[in-house]
Amino acid sequence: MAPKQATRNKAITLKGSTALVTEFFKYAVNTILFQREVYPGDDFNMVKKYGQVVLVTQDLALENYLENVAARILQQVQKWILTGSVTQLVLAILAKDTRTTLERWVFDIKLVEPPADSKDATGKPEAEIQSEIRAILKQIVSMVTFLPVMQEEKVFNILAYTSESADVPAGEWVDTDPLAIEASKSQQVKMRSFSTDIHRIEAMVAYRYEE
Amino acid sequence: MASAQKTPKTPSHRRVRSEVKTPLTPSLLSALNTVSLESPIKRATSSSIPLSDAFQRQASGGVIRKGGVESRLDVVTLDYVPPPPKSEVKRSRSTPVINLAERDRFITSRDHTLEVSATLDQMSLNVPSGSPTHTARLAAATGVPINRRILGYHLPPPSASSDTTLALQREFARPLYANRPGAIATSTGATTNKTRKISTQPERVLDAPGMVDDFYLNLLSWSSSNCVAVALEASTYIWKADTGAVVQMGEAPAGTYVSSVSFSNDGAFLGIGLGTGEVELWDVERGVKLRTMAGHQAQVAVLSWWQHLLSSGCGDGSVWHHDVRVPRHKVMELLGHNGEVCGLQWRKDGELIASGGNDNVVNIWDGRVGDAPIAGDAVATGNAKWTKRNHTAAVKALAWSPWQPNLLASGGGTNDATINVWNSTTGARLHTQTTPSQITSVHFAPHRKELLTTHGYPTNAIGVWSYPGLERVAEIRDAHDSRVLFSAVSPAGDMVVTGAGDESLKFWKIWDIPTADKSRKVSGRGEGVTKSGVLSIR
Repeated sequence: MAPKQATRNKAITLKGSTALVTEFFKYAVNTILFQREVYPGDDFNMVKKYGQVVLVTQDLALENYLENVAARILQQVQKWILTGSVTQLVLAILAKDTRTTLERWVFDIKLVEPPADSKDATGKPEAEIQSEIRAILKQIVSMVTFLPVMQEEKVFNILAYTSESADVPAGEWVDTDPLAIEASKSQQVKMRSFSTDIHRIEAMVAYRYEE
Repeated sequence: MASAQKTPKTPSHRRVRSEVKTPLTPSLLSALNTVSLESPIKRATSSSIPLSDAFQRQASGGVIRKGGVESRLDVVTLDYVPPPPKSEVKRSRSTPVINLAERDRFITSRDHTLEVSATLDQMSLNVPSGSPTHTARLAAATGVPINRRILGYHLPPPSASSDTTLALQREFARPLYANRPGAIATSTGATTNKTRKISTQPERVLDAPGMVDDFYLNLLSWSSSNCVAVALEASTYIWKADTGAVVQMGEAPAGTYVSSVSFSNDGAFLGIGLGTGEVELWDVERGVKLRTMAGHQAQVAVLSWWQHLLSSGCGDGSVWHHDVRVPRHKVMELLGHNGEVCGLQWRKDGELIASGGNDNVVNIWDGRVGDAPIAGDAVATGNAKWTKRNHTAAVKALAWSPWQPNLLASGGGTNDATINVWNSTTGARLHTQTTPSQITSVHFAPHRKELLTTHGYPTNAIGVWSYPGLERVAEIRDAHDSRVLFSAVSPAGDMVVTGAGDESLKFWKIWDIPTADKSRKVSGRGEGVTKSGVLSIR
């Protein structure tokens, strides 16, 4: 019984870890879009996930945009994570009219070096990973309390920082502006992180703050 | 214009024009370039240094061409020279002598490789020839890491499919566009449980011209002496169910209208609430007005009797108890609503009174009124025993159960359309049932464990629900042509009268009078006794 347990614990593979990270990203994006009111709140539906209630969009167009159609954003992101060629995902929230960046939610994706003595190292239990993810999502929700209120209409944009050698589907992804906020006008808050055996996700938010 | 003069083919007029126009337009510039095309190549081939193929291509591509033009031109020309591909840059670096030899003296200070690396820097691409500190600073300033690409999806995110600006209004209007839920198979427009047979046709229809189509009013009452009072704008009529005779109870004062009618428990008196806030008291038998009780500042939308107490719910949210026997009629004031009070119901024993308002609140009050009058103009004020805020729309429908004293049923308006059943002792919500449409009134069946509701748009239905299961026993769809607004149960407990904005009263036979119960009733129970068998509308 005991060895079986151990193997199951260790069973987090690259693919599994990638799926976990991608899924997390999906829920994180949904949570941010809801909490920051980028899309109207009525379009979101409550879904039980990670042992808590997460709001997920029901807007078909947005859902399609985020995941449904093959090779759309998340699927591509999953491929990149799988090959380790993506280092950072950024959800930028821009003002619709002026196109100025208001907030940047940054998720660093780092490959964790597998420990040398991986033979006896048991994997991180999934429950622990989930509780870390839960902590991040809760933190995103609680961020609303201090982030400046954005009055104007907003749009969002997802950026992927990839390595030079990453496979980029032609015509689907294009090089873009980093949509950075001027250093003098922005504040940054580091958020919690979570890690699987293979990936480590560090979250950070930068927001425009002018006196 | 050295090159132009060298070329014999150049027409003289073009030459003149080029000399006249000092600010160089791009078109002119290109003209000059085409004109001077021949000479630099000639010069290049005539030179003794051997040229690679690539360099010749470069030359014909226009890099060297500018050498033949005058100094003031080449500043502009540079802008039009596309940066050569990277591979060529390297090659040209390997043969710097040729480049230098080919250059005009005016541009020798410019280094091609530097220019290219500058443009590549602008494109956020890292160039090995660029200064490393500069690149690092650039990377730090722009937030672009080295050896990274920043990619964005080629399509912009979709805009929100729903518009937030009118979301609230749309929420309010949604019930109006609702599909008629649970479409019914039968053509009669009714569903009935198999165990029950409820006629979907009214027993009798009375015309009610001028009936006001207003949800907040209460214009229908059925007395224990088997009279139906109905208010049609300013007039109140009494239709005697025993004889079918109609008596007019007089008119409201000019300029106002009747907003509520209610029979006293014994059926001898009729309370009439007016739009101006007065409450009139009428003797039903003699057809005369006994008194007018003024004081309210807004329309009296609902009245409820308990013995000598006539309680009135007002548009300003207050509920007053009027003691109809004494000159100073206002004996108590209940303040607990922010919106118009449109539902008011005494419990049969007078212990409790329930009120519902346009502020979506249901209040349950202690019905006891202090004996001793308070000095001066002050009146006692009551405190709500329970305040329920579960409804999300105006609460007009209220009913106390006749067979279990602590049961109160309430029904909400358009946005709520929910029946809630409360325990008035513990304050608990016992049952909740969502219905397809606005609830305009609710009644407990006197002899059965059932509830009756009337509904507005879109179903315009009368619904019968079992209690406590709250399963639909029967439903009469489209009972009226417009929303069913008012209803009253007959004293015998088998008939229900409904009134609607389509200006008609309809009498429905919903329940049967159980024979055993009937005999018991004949033997006499305190109040609310009806002469059994009296009720024969036909």
